[in-house]
Amino acid sequence: MDANNEYLLLFRGKEWWNGLSAEELRTTMEQIKGWFDQLEASGKLKAAQPLAREGAVVSGRNGTIVADGPFAESKEVIGGYLLLQVDSLNEAIAIARSCPTLKFDMQAEVRPIAGECPSMAYARQIISEQQFATA
Amino acid sequence: MLIFRGTDWHNGLSPEQMQQVAGQWMAWFKRLTAEGKVVAGNPLEREGKIVSGKNGRVVADGPFAESKEAIGGYFLLNVASLDEAVAIAQECPGLPYGARVEVRPVMDQCALSGEALPDNQLAEATA
Repeated sequence: MDANNEYLLLFRGKEWWNGLSAEELRTTMEQIKGWFDQLEASGKLKAAQPLAREGAVVSGRNGTIVADGPFAESKEVIGGYLLLQVDSLNEAIAIARSCPTLKFDMQAEVRPIAGECPSMAYARQIISEQQFATA
Repeated sequence: MLIFRGTDWHNGLSPEQMQQVAGQWMAWFKRLTAEGKVVAGNPLEREGKIVSGKNGRVVADGPFAESKEAIGGYFLLNVASLDEAVAIAQECPGLPYGARVEVRPVMDQCALSGEALPDNQLAEATA
């Protein structure tokens, strides 16, 4: 069940701009701008922001463990996100595939926004199955 | 941005416990929203794809279910500092069950070009 046909795109990868010539950088920036302009004009882009390559990771029972993270060199670091409003997962995937930075070893994760927490839905399903079984 | 990692936190919980924790999570979201600290947030379906390669030619399934690393959802915060965002993250009801929260500052400008990103309702959200 997709909530309002929204999809989240998460972009992962190293700092792709490192090691590019000024020319390559300029060209890529133009491509990115063009990509965004087109998305915006289509009305499919609800939000988009880059994430700074710093922060923290909180874990442990009361969140008492606070580690620095993520590390800038890692390919797994999320560099930014897009929130799209499109009719299907395939359309969201098509948009992800057209991102100009994929060629620099970036990766786009495409996830449907859920109408409710999947664990909540799963729990409800188990409970109704149990009730059915004991009825 | 708070990125909630771990889609396996419900393992070992009874369905009633799962509902309780998920309910706490929703109440936490509502409270933060009422306080003006959260501007957006969503759970994610435990499915999707990972796109990579030149022209996005590789489209793979992802390990989105039952994984410690998989992302289960996010909040976008409007707070004054990373410390404040971390303090909010420490309240996450999934933490005792193994969920982790990645806390990342959001930029509303592309760091490279200095250009403002496309206009959107979240342009003022920073964390």
